[in-house]
Amino acid sequence: MSLKVDEIIGVVSSVLDETQKKRGTLIHAFQEIQKEQNYLPEEELVKLSKELDIPMSDVYSTATFYKQFYFTPRGRKIVKVCTGTACHVRGASKVMDALKNEFNVGDGETTEDLAMTLESVGCIGCCGLAPVATINEGIIGEIDSPKLSKMIEDIKED
Amino acid sequence: MINLEINGKKITANEGDTILRASLNNDIYIPNLCDDKRLRPYGGCRLCIVEVEGQARLMAACSSPAVDGMVIQTETPKLKKYRQTIIELLLVHHPLECPECDKAGECNLQDLAYEYGKPESRFIRSRKTTKSDIRGPLIELTSRRCILCGKCVRICSDHQGRGAIGLIGRGFPTVVQPAFGETLECDYCGQCLDVCPTGAILSKPYKFTARSWFLDEQDSICPFCGVGCTLTLGIREGKILRARGEQGKGVNDGNLCGRGRFGIDYIYSKKRLTTPLIKKGEEFVTASWEEALAHVAKSLTNIIKKYGPAAVGAIGSPRCTNEDNFALNKFIREVVGSDNIESSAAFGYEKVQKVMTAAFGTNNHPVNLESPLGKEIIFAVESDLSVTHPIFGLKILEATREGSRLITADSRETKLTRHSADWLKLMDGTSVALLNGIMHVITEDDLFNKETVTGIANFDTFLASLKEYTPEKTAELTGVPAAKIIETAKALAAAKSRLITLSLSLSENTKGSAAIKAAANLVNLLGEGAESLQIPAEYSNTYGSYNSGLRPDSNKPGKGLKEMLYDSESFLKAIYIMGEDPVINFPNSTAVTEKLKSLDFIVVQDIFLTATAKMADVVFPASSWGEKSGTFTNASSIDQEVLKLVDPTGQSVSDWMILKNLSLTMGSDLGIKKLADIQHELKSYHEKQKAPEGVKAFLTVHHGPAEEIDSRFPFKLVIRDILQHSGSMSTRSKSLDLVISEALLKLNTEDAERLAIRDSSHVKLSSKNGEIYLKAVISEDVPMGTVFVPSHFPYARINTLTQLTPEGDAVIAGVNIEHAGKSS
Repeated sequence: MSLKVDEIIGVVSSVLDETQKKRGTLIHAFQEIQKEQNYLPEEELVKLSKELDIPMSDVYSTATFYKQFYFTPRGRKIVKVCTGTACHVRGASKVMDALKNEFNVGDGETTEDLAMTLESVGCIGCCGLAPVATINEGIIGEIDSPKLSKMIEDIKED
Repeated sequence: MINLEINGKKITANEGDTILRASLNNDIYIPNLCDDKRLRPYGGCRLCIVEVEGQARLMAACSSPAVDGMVIQTETPKLKKYRQTIIELLLVHHPLECPECDKAGECNLQDLAYEYGKPESRFIRSRKTTKSDIRGPLIELTSRRCILCGKCVRICSDHQGRGAIGLIGRGFPTVVQPAFGETLECDYCGQCLDVCPTGAILSKPYKFTARSWFLDEQDSICPFCGVGCTLTLGIREGKILRARGEQGKGVNDGNLCGRGRFGIDYIYSKKRLTTPLIKKGEEFVTASWEEALAHVAKSLTNIIKKYGPAAVGAIGSPRCTNEDNFALNKFIREVVGSDNIESSAAFGYEKVQKVMTAAFGTNNHPVNLESPLGKEIIFAVESDLSVTHPIFGLKILEATREGSRLITADSRETKLTRHSADWLKLMDGTSVALLNGIMHVITEDDLFNKETVTGIANFDTFLASLKEYTPEKTAELTGVPAAKIIETAKALAAAKSRLITLSLSLSENTKGSAAIKAAANLVNLLGEGAESLQIPAEYSNTYGSYNSGLRPDSNKPGKGLKEMLYDSESFLKAIYIMGEDPVINFPNSTAVTEKLKSLDFIVVQDIFLTATAKMADVVFPASSWGEKSGTFTNASSIDQEVLKLVDPTGQSVSDWMILKNLSLTMGSDLGIKKLADIQHELKSYHEKQKAPEGVKAFLTVHHGPAEEIDSRFPFKLVIRDILQHSGSMSTRSKSLDLVISEALLKLNTEDAERLAIRDSSHVKLSSKNGEIYLKAVISEDVPMGTVFVPSHFPYARINTLTQLTPEGDAVIAGVNIEHAGKSS
């Protein structure tokens, strides 16, 4: 992997010194790595730390600040269950529990076969459809028992 | 200078100071938890808020610049209320474990809670309960006590240049940790312990040994390297329990490295000598002082009678005080009547002094520890000063942060190479060629100082000697690309100010006098003075002992170490060794051992039964650092007092006192009754030593391959220092032993594969002088065909393999590596 620092940060590069430039590319690098590998593997971060000459602790510290970066492999299907106020009232915890039991994973965990990752999230902004969950980009609203069964089937389907 | 008014007091401050700095400099305290003068303003804790006249809002003093004419209030009812709230919020999560926390009594948070806290908090939430991370050696991380001021993280990465820990995560669950929650592996400088305002980072060796208020704190000088840092030592019930750095004190201004902070427990090693020993047959038997002194007096007198005083020699110690060494000097010269005396400086610092004198015509060459600051270019030649002299190394890092351009020439990655703008990756032991190559470019391109070189002797011969070092040839010799050599030469020549720095000690074998000569030539060529070449003396009192008479006088027929221990001529019959272990520490230990075996009588006074002491006829137990008073002179020629803080171990006695008593037993009076007598005499001795200044000269040197690497011994054995140890003294420290406890042989991955040597397997290392067994570690940092090993560990006996050149340099030796089990 070679980082084209100037290209990534554009015009700004002219006002930054070398160290600042390197620091500035960290997030882009994380995003690139995660796009390719689905998560941030330790060995990639170690390489990045060497390449940019930023201590490993600093790289890791920056990455852990953002919720969007992951340090363990993620499933092919990312299931996000909204646990915002409206969904909570409408039984989000039942949805969550059902999925936990079905796939034998906890919140934020991934199944062993990397089929799915289960996550609880805050409000996803469509309270009218509560309780809501998403599978990758697709939204499932007003989840009831039949919809939940369908959802589980969808997740299992490869 | 600007003028401000704080709490009605008119003060002056430097332009660019923050309000907090200006205020603290004028002894006005403003509460703060996240500020440290070594670090950039952070503005994290907000406790330093102050009221500034004309400003509607409160300002954080740590991150607001002081402006001329400012009127500031730091203690008002409003501020008190705000600070109370901040403390209240911090104490919502901070567990109140003060009764079992080592920090209690010297905890900033505790102090501020005492001052501002309210007995009842308005907020109730769970306190942090995470377990302490006790996996690493020496340092314990207890994140539940952390208030996330980030001082430890910042001192580690911004000041120490290490970056071993980070603030991991976000919000409430944030913890200070190494990446991926791994075990803390760092330099173990322990600077984070000193800056932590709570008990989140604590010392493991000190843990639960004393409440801070029971400690009697006293300052003394560190016994390890030549920087001579001030240690603030915590003593309880006659035992030194810890060392810490305190800002505003000593040359280190509060900075310490791991050796000084954790290593001083070597004085409590179980292996300390407690009684005099006399060898009867093959065995040592314990003896009384009277018996041992009488035995030595009688034997020495007999030898002097039979062979004359010149048959007796002495070796002094850069670890002992000036007074100890001067007493030895007086003993050997006045009582014995011999002039054979020297110390291990002969293999290190003495060479530096001699070269500097020859090149610059001046006599004394103390370093300036502040010298890196403000230099346009700093050029570190094959030396990792952040390992040999860690606090001087910090100054170099500080200079780079302030804009100095650091160029390092080194064969392996070091802290300095990591922080340098340019890293010339040269082959070990080729710094002479590199420097000559650089000077070739400078002279060819007419970039040198033509006005000053005319006044320097031997310029023409020197100029001619550089002819052969064309960039191409130099590239071939050193492995540094020709373009890089040219670039470095041009940069050095164009710079307005420069510093060339090296280390030279007994415990490394990649460079000797020649490298220093070449560096001195470069300085002379560029028209700079001796102050542009900074080579610090190696140990705590190398500089002082060298100037306390530990060398043969130039006008007397005295012999030095080389003649005493290495010459085949056998004029020597008896030797008196104080605080030195030649068998382990000096090059070619086989030769040294043979020589010692051939002597009639050996006296060793030491704190441990060293390999040399084991060969002695009589061993005197000496008091160690901390058990005796005296002075150390650091590398910058500052005399600093070393205090007697605790009682001597067993029957041990100060070195100078042993010599005084021995002199009395031999019927001579050294003229010493007490320590002050020596100090008085030493002062006039120093006055007399001041020699007239000479002339500047170029000292022609050539690159010479250290030792033929042939098919029998195809690997280059490179000996370098490691951060956690200093000589062999530190290897007796229980704490430092926890970090690195054995001499590991590092070899290249490909070499290891070729020889089928696995990581952590035992190997036999042989040179034409002997063989030793070591554990091998496979590493990518090591160049092909080279093996690295530290010299510090006595049992490893690295010097069995080394060789001493006629010039007195320990050079890279050719070695062979085999499986330990294989028969050869």
